[in-house]
Amino acid sequence: MPLGTLDRTPPPFFRQGSSALSKLTVFSALALFLMVADVRFRVTQPVRAVLASALYPAQWMVLQPVAWARQISGYFQNLGAAQAAQEQAQRKLGLQSQRAGQVEQLMLENERLRRLLALRTRPDTAARAAQVLYDAADPFSRKVIIDRGFVDGIAAGSPVVDETGVLGQVTRVYASVSEVTLVVDRDLAIPVLNTRTGARGVAFGDAGATGGGLELRYMAANADVLPGDLLATSGVDGVYPAGLQVASVDKVERRGDTAFARILLRPVALVAGVIHVMVLKPVDSEIAPRPAPDTATATARKTTRK
Amino acid sequence: MIMRQGQQLLLPANPFFIWGSLLCALLLNLLQNMGLWGRAAWTPDILALVLVFWSVHQPLRVGIGAAFVFGLCVDVHQGGLLGAHALAYVVLSFLAITIHRRLLWFSVPSQAVQVLPLFAVALLIELAAQLLAGGTFPGWSMLLAPGVEALLWPVVSVLLLVPQRRAPDPDANRPL
Repeated sequence: MPLGTLDRTPPPFFRQGSSALSKLTVFSALALFLMVADVRFRVTQPVRAVLASALYPAQWMVLQPVAWARQISGYFQNLGAAQAAQEQAQRKLGLQSQRAGQVEQLMLENERLRRLLALRTRPDTAARAAQVLYDAADPFSRKVIIDRGFVDGIAAGSPVVDETGVLGQVTRVYASVSEVTLVVDRDLAIPVLNTRTGARGVAFGDAGATGGGLELRYMAANADVLPGDLLATSGVDGVYPAGLQVASVDKVERRGDTAFARILLRPVALVAGVIHVMVLKPVDSEIAPRPAPDTATATARKTTRK
Repeated sequence: MIMRQGQQLLLPANPFFIWGSLLCALLLNLLQNMGLWGRAAWTPDILALVLVFWSVHQPLRVGIGAAFVFGLCVDVHQGGLLGAHALAYVVLSFLAITIHRRLLWFSVPSQAVQVLPLFAVALLIELAAQLLAGGTFPGWSMLLAPGVEALLWPVVSVLLLVPQRRAPDPDANRPL
């Protein structure tokens, strides 16, 4: 056997570096610190950005075969399916064209009435098309990654919609991709308006408990909410433009032991398997700034509370 | 060196192969997420498996520091809590280094049984961290992941030791 084939250098006796236990302590403490910094103080975005840009070539490389496979499967997809989809789209267009014809007239009327009442005109929002690359792997949240980043002018906080309704909100922006938190994620809340009654509420994502849905919280047990009601964004938060469909009411449970009804919602947008989305600009960039808090009333309220 | 009876003498491990296999495992993890199964919770964490393998076989080269860095990469890719995977991998690597002298005395199937608790501990650590930080419970299917990883242990043990099992003096009968 030739020399040098076996590992003949003995392992170092004394210079073995720090012990495994001390390394475990140091790195566990570092990991805990990072977790607290991430959850409590939200200061880890620079670390994330650096690591994400280091990781981006690997992600890009893995995405290429995936994109090819998608293209090939799309190429071989059944012609019949495409024709059926087109027929359905035509039927939908036929149904919508009648309403669309009225929209011009309604908009004109709306504008006149608003001018008559001296109301502020509704802001238009700029939109940007994007494509969903993949679901974020974290099974503890509901997020997707889209193929537009701050190079394309995406800002954190922008609402994201698909062709049917609100899909979610951009929560992290990297150079050429961004992370969208879906409406069913536990951390996302949307102010909504019941289109039948006009009652406002807040819908919270609740993917775990209700099997991929939302929950309309803090509605009184006797509130007028029926299964099938459609909820749209109310536009009071300065993020989502008003009137986008969010969810429909799935189930209403009124129980005696609580003052609130338990209202489960089903998202309107395709939260699983969506591909083409639109990223809107947050509305607050176009509405008037919030007036400065009135110090006199604030102090007055404080004194009355005493 | 004292070794188990009948065990083959191995060639020294190539550092490029070690780090290359770790990178490949990371890429496989990315592929599982981006192309194959999306957000599924039961998918085996191949990177954790390869990390444990090298922590057991080459504890002087691959250790807790490498586990921490790879864990951070996984966290950033997944977009979840930063540090959860890092903590899980650090503990995993520590436990692997703790048992590395004992583990190699057993046959490969019984090694697989002995690494199963390691993966279970790593999963529980991650679950606890994520749920404390306010995550959604991903479903019971996630308990399958350590089992699948343990089942993959023999496969990984064969694949990653292939370069070290080559003949030291290749000839016509033993070209590799």
